[in-house]
Amino acid sequence: MSWLPSLQSLQARLLALLLSLVTIVWLGAAVLTWTDAQHELDELLDGHLAQAAALLVVQQARADGHDDGTDDDGGLADPPSLHKYAPKVAFQVFHEGRLMMRSANAGTTPLSTLTRGFSTVRLQDKKPWRVFATRGGESDVQVFVGEQTDTRDDILWAVLQGVLLPLLLALPLLALLLWWAVRHGLAPLRQLSQALGRRQPHALEPVVLKDVPTEIQPLVQALNGLFERIDAMVASERRFTADAAHELRTPIAAIRAQAQVALGAGNDTTQRDHALQFTLAGCDRATRLVEQLLTLSRLEATANPGAALPLNTAIDLSALTRRTCADLAPAALSRQQELALDAPDVCLVIGDETLLGVLVRNLIDNALRYSPAGATVQVSVASRAGQTELQVSDSGPGMTEAEIARLGERFYRVLGNEQPGSGLGWSIIRRISAVLGVRIRVSRSAALGGLCVTAGWPAP
Amino acid sequence: MRILLAEDDPLLGDGLRAGLRQQGFQVDWVRDGVAAERELAAGDYQATVLDLGLPLKDGLEVLQALRERKNTTPVLVLTARDAVPDRIRGLDLGADDYVVKPVDLHELGARLRSLVRRAHGQVQAGLQCGGVLLDPAARQVSLDGAEVALSTREFDLLHALMLGAGRVLSREQLEQQLYSWGYEVDSNAIEVHIHHLRRKLGQSVIQTVRGVGYTLQRSQSGT
Repeated sequence: MSWLPSLQSLQARLLALLLSLVTIVWLGAAVLTWTDAQHELDELLDGHLAQAAALLVVQQARADGHDDGTDDDGGLADPPSLHKYAPKVAFQVFHEGRLMMRSANAGTTPLSTLTRGFSTVRLQDKKPWRVFATRGGESDVQVFVGEQTDTRDDILWAVLQGVLLPLLLALPLLALLLWWAVRHGLAPLRQLSQALGRRQPHALEPVVLKDVPTEIQPLVQALNGLFERIDAMVASERRFTADAAHELRTPIAAIRAQAQVALGAGNDTTQRDHALQFTLAGCDRATRLVEQLLTLSRLEATANPGAALPLNTAIDLSALTRRTCADLAPAALSRQQELALDAPDVCLVIGDETLLGVLVRNLIDNALRYSPAGATVQVSVASRAGQTELQVSDSGPGMTEAEIARLGERFYRVLGNEQPGSGLGWSIIRRISAVLGVRIRVSRSAALGGLCVTAGWPAP
Repeated sequence: MRILLAEDDPLLGDGLRAGLRQQGFQVDWVRDGVAAERELAAGDYQATVLDLGLPLKDGLEVLQALRERKNTTPVLVLTARDAVPDRIRGLDLGADDYVVKPVDLHELGARLRSLVRRAHGQVQAGLQCGGVLLDPAARQVSLDGAEVALSTREFDLLHALMLGAGRVLSREQLEQQLYSWGYEVDSNAIEVHIHHLRRKLGQSVIQTVRGVGYTLQRSQSGT
């Protein structure tokens, strides 16, 4: 159906298909009728020819009996033309080689070279004739009966016209009826498209149509499924925006309060400096929060984990972890925390360097941030039997099973935690590990007593 | 005026405490819901600034428990939850005011003064007792139209007495209202401040009820 794609409308396609099929079937029927009629007509008319020939033979035999050799010019044997079809029919009767009788249009030479049976010949008028030749019982009488083949074609044409004419007349009517029928048949589709067209851009409730045909049901179901997913996505986005705005309120309130304190400090330079320091700290915190939110929203945009990123780069996890530890060490030292790293010289994993960097930083940063001053944070990179593991354990307060289960919910913070944080770090860790295909395990650290987080890479 | 501030965020809590102190409030700062509940039960606070998202115990629970104990301390809820249902719930649970972060420190101070004023049945912003006129917002006191210079403690003491005019306030009650945590209070500090006030405003303004405390006579009030 290579010609069909040019028809954009389903209705036009159906109409075109149906009309062409009807025409083809009708034409096929006409061809069959033609061949069948031709066959029957040939048999019938050939039968007439034979019959007429037989009559002439009998008549000549009788004439031989009482009138012998009275005629020599054949004028006697020229019967009158009695019918308008007579010129299309011809006959000759020979007796012992002499032309005894003939029709006016037959001429004097034998119509056919055959002496018995049917043949198709061209006579002096250049038209094809069907000739039947036969001989009398004593072989002295030779009869030829001919008929113009045109006659047969005329009859066949008349028959064919009887078949084709109604078709020509019926086709426009049929097209009209088919158009109506197709239109009626496609009504549910049109209803669906109207229902969809009437929708507001934000309307995501399922499409409800009465009496949906079984063929359209999967389409409606798929659409409703899509609406549901989009709705969930929009709701999640909306919740995220609300949560983010909510979460940004506190640092902004802090910045505002501190700035106002600085303004109102007057001559008290100690108070003003303190307030300005805290204003800066508030800005840093808001910045960190915004960065985390952006990271998270970029990660969420990668709706199809793994597919969006070509994960084929080999990255040295040891070097990356070493750099991250070096970055975070000053902050740890300022809180008298001990940050230790145990890693082989080189340890390659497959992944995306940026994402991996964010993951490692968040893991170590979380451990430092939520452990008290003077705590120990132990980071180790190890590769055993092709499996690579990054482990971050701390001597902090640890977590209960219920708290561990809730980790990674946006803005979930462990109660009683005095450290400023939004709980976004874990959302980021969960998200990146999903994208990179890294398994994250959270447990109690046997050695240090606090939390132990293990990131595991499957064997390549 | 002594205020309890319940706020878990270190930066914001520090800023609010400093800002309210600049406006003459005595501020005690707690960082979780359990501590807030404990201090509200024990201390004598003129008002409370309560954050809702508190660790250990949510601010709304603290508020509900406070009202169930028939504690009438004015509560100003300061929160990031700005949805109308949240506001309605907060106010219905017994909050006297509902403010969404971020807030202007001066507005916060004014709202607190207004809460305290209404809690004491006062309508006007200024307090009057005889010829003494006290403006809590400007922290100014005048006697018969002439401005009187008072120290911070003297002003706070007079403010507390004027708010509780007609009632006798014990020395402990007055101490509690004047000093936030971390101040060593001399045993005779209140007596010293009363002495100074009498010297500046006249002997008859503050009466001593021997063995009980001090009072300002409402009958002297011009309003």
